[in-house]
Amino acid sequence: MADWHQDYERRYKELKQKGKSFFPYAVFKDCLVAFLLFGLLAFLAWKLGAHLESLADPTDTSYNPRPEWYFLFLFQALKAFPGSLESVAAVVLPGAVFAALFFLPLFDRGHKRHPLDRPFLTGLGVLAIAGVTALTVEGYRSPLVNPVVEKNPEVVEGARLYRQLNCAYCHKIRGKGGVVGPQLDRVVGAESPEWLERHFRDPSAVTPHSAMPRLGLLDDEIKALTAYLKSIANEPFTQEAPKLFAENCAVCHKIRGQGGEVGPDLSTIGSARDKSFIVRYIEDPAKTNPKSGMPAFRGQLTDLQIEDLARYLSSLGR
Amino acid sequence: MKRRCRAVGEWLRRRTGCDRVWETLFARHIPEAEGPTAWLYTLGSATLFIFVVQAVTGALLAMNYVPSPDHAYDSVRFINEKVLCGSFIHGLHHFGASFMVVLVVLHMLRVYFMGAYKYPREGTWMVGVVLLLVVIGFGFTGYLLPWDQKAYWATMVGTNIAGQTPFVGPLVSKILKGGGEMGASTLTRFYALHVLVLPAVVLLLIGIHLFLVVWHGISEPPERARRRGEGNPLG
Amino acid sequence: MTTGLGRCPCESEAEEQGVTRRGFLAGAAALLAGTIASVLGAAGLSYFVSPAFEKEDENWIDVGRASELRTGAPVKVDYVARKRDAWVVTEKRSSVWLSNLGGGRFIAFDPRCTHLGCPYRWDQGKQEFLCPCHAGVFDREGKVLSGPPPRPLDRFPVKVVSGRLLIRPVDEKGAA
Repeated sequence: MADWHQDYERRYKELKQKGKSFFPYAVFKDCLVAFLLFGLLAFLAWKLGAHLESLADPTDTSYNPRPEWYFLFLFQALKAFPGSLESVAAVVLPGAVFAALFFLPLFDRGHKRHPLDRPFLTGLGVLAIAGVTALTVEGYRSPLVNPVVEKNPEVVEGARLYRQLNCAYCHKIRGKGGVVGPQLDRVVGAESPEWLERHFRDPSAVTPHSAMPRLGLLDDEIKALTAYLKSIANEPFTQEAPKLFAENCAVCHKIRGQGGEVGPDLSTIGSARDKSFIVRYIEDPAKTNPKSGMPAFRGQLTDLQIEDLARYLSSLGR
Repeated sequence: MKRRCRAVGEWLRRRTGCDRVWETLFARHIPEAEGPTAWLYTLGSATLFIFVVQAVTGALLAMNYVPSPDHAYDSVRFINEKVLCGSFIHGLHHFGASFMVVLVVLHMLRVYFMGAYKYPREGTWMVGVVLLLVVIGFGFTGYLLPWDQKAYWATMVGTNIAGQTPFVGPLVSKILKGGGEMGASTLTRFYALHVLVLPAVVLLLIGIHLFLVVWHGISEPPERARRRGEGNPLG
Repeated sequence: MTTGLGRCPCESEAEEQGVTRRGFLAGAAALLAGTIASVLGAAGLSYFVSPAFEKEDENWIDVGRASELRTGAPVKVDYVARKRDAWVVTEKRSSVWLSNLGGGRFIAFDPRCTHLGCPYRWDQGKQEFLCPCHAGVFDREGKVLSGPPPRPLDRFPVKVVSGRLLIRPVDEKGAA
């Protein structure tokens, strides 16, 4: 064993003496690569910045948790293992891989270094790269369970302020809250944002004898609260929803005078039905209404699209 | 003037031995790599470079960050929106993390395929594998800090995965989270790991890694065994 | 530094050229490293010194409609001042004495006596401000009539914007 060690050392010394100085020949290459990398990094940082999603909300049930992209393959691999074996994929396998990597030089002690002279390990390496890449791509492509709705940061901020300022002590939204002030989800729809802003600055200025105190809110807090109150009437839907309606439903249903006559007019459906009802109905009308002539859309549309569509419809007429 | 400069240089040399240091680190000869192969040897230094970027930007970010669920998100928003160049510095740190992972893996693949982990560089490789783990640790702990939705839920999934370790799982998960539920103590824990513990570990390991690289010399591009065997009966 | 050992023969032949190539690479490496360092350094420095460029927050506080404040007796108005300190919003409850002098002129008095900071009150009968602690007395413009106070009542800047009365509660040194 030690034979090739000495031989290697002799050979390495030779190569080293024939070679060039680290500075500046290798250093130049290092600097050039660092420069290009930094250019790319700065470009990404400048153009995209570090995207911040909305504040962590442990009660949110509609979020699609995704790990950072370099953990995605592991996340995806978990799906291939049934429940009882999940710990194997999650912990045992990665642990074994790291142990194998760590002890690799102790197993592979021959003198051969060229990848073509070590077909087994080279093949294993290539396979590992291919596997991780495939899993990452698959994980990236796997559909999201919940519709992704970009939340307006002002609305999120406003909701937080609503909680912090204990507005619910006096006001009701969707049936929750106090009875001193008006039920906000019923009344704010009628008021303009400008009115709301003036109201927040000084309630008694727009509503004489209002019992609401002046809160001394900052300008951006007023904007956030206004945005929040404007949003509570509806659950957010994407821009695709009206298009989905036009493509799939408008043959039979009407919204604001546009669409077919076969089914009922849906212009004010939101005032009569809530979202979960609409979802169930779109998925399979016969279950709710055996006499319905409407086809089931489960399978025709993805769950995501149905959710989106239902949110759109439930916003109508509210 | 010139003489003064030389005198200062001489003074420094006598006191610090900086010329010897320079010779050891930079004037050392390395085996020649040809063509594109030579560029593969830049991956290690590129990783080191990104580490420096992460250290600089990280120190700056820490000036405005609060590791508490009440304020973490607001403080990050403050960085992004109010601090001069804040979103740029934050962006560098954010993408730098991805770059770091990619470069570490590429660097490792280079060493793997070239068999450069073999005698006498086994120790360098082993330290390197631990460094990979530390980098992943940085990524995992850092991801939680902005305390936004993706941070919260990804960490939730991550800690639950750790909770599936056979036998000790629930314990591990509880220790990681600093309690049964994810919350304030999870955030402070991750923050302390991210800015105090892991940097100390990584500096130590990088030091050992670099020392070994210089001590053993950078590995030569591998040659086919047969060709090498021509002048060598052992081949 | 690197003379002698192990130079390949070609290098000595092209010594002249080699030196320039070596010099060029060293210079290029320095240039590249310098560029990176200056971009990162400039961004980092801007980040570090950004508090110096922060705009002074004016913090005017809305204390009500100007038309609601009648001339005559000064009125004590309680207000809530929310203030942004970097990423934290703090809330301070405080009050101010407002006086309408007529003709669009308003005075806002710091509600603390200039002697030792006690809260004074308005004596409607005598038409004076009276401090209960050491019997300091001020007239309706804040001038000291008797007692130990060393100077007239402190005033806050006041302005009227679109009918609303705004004050800026600052202490003597101008800090909000």
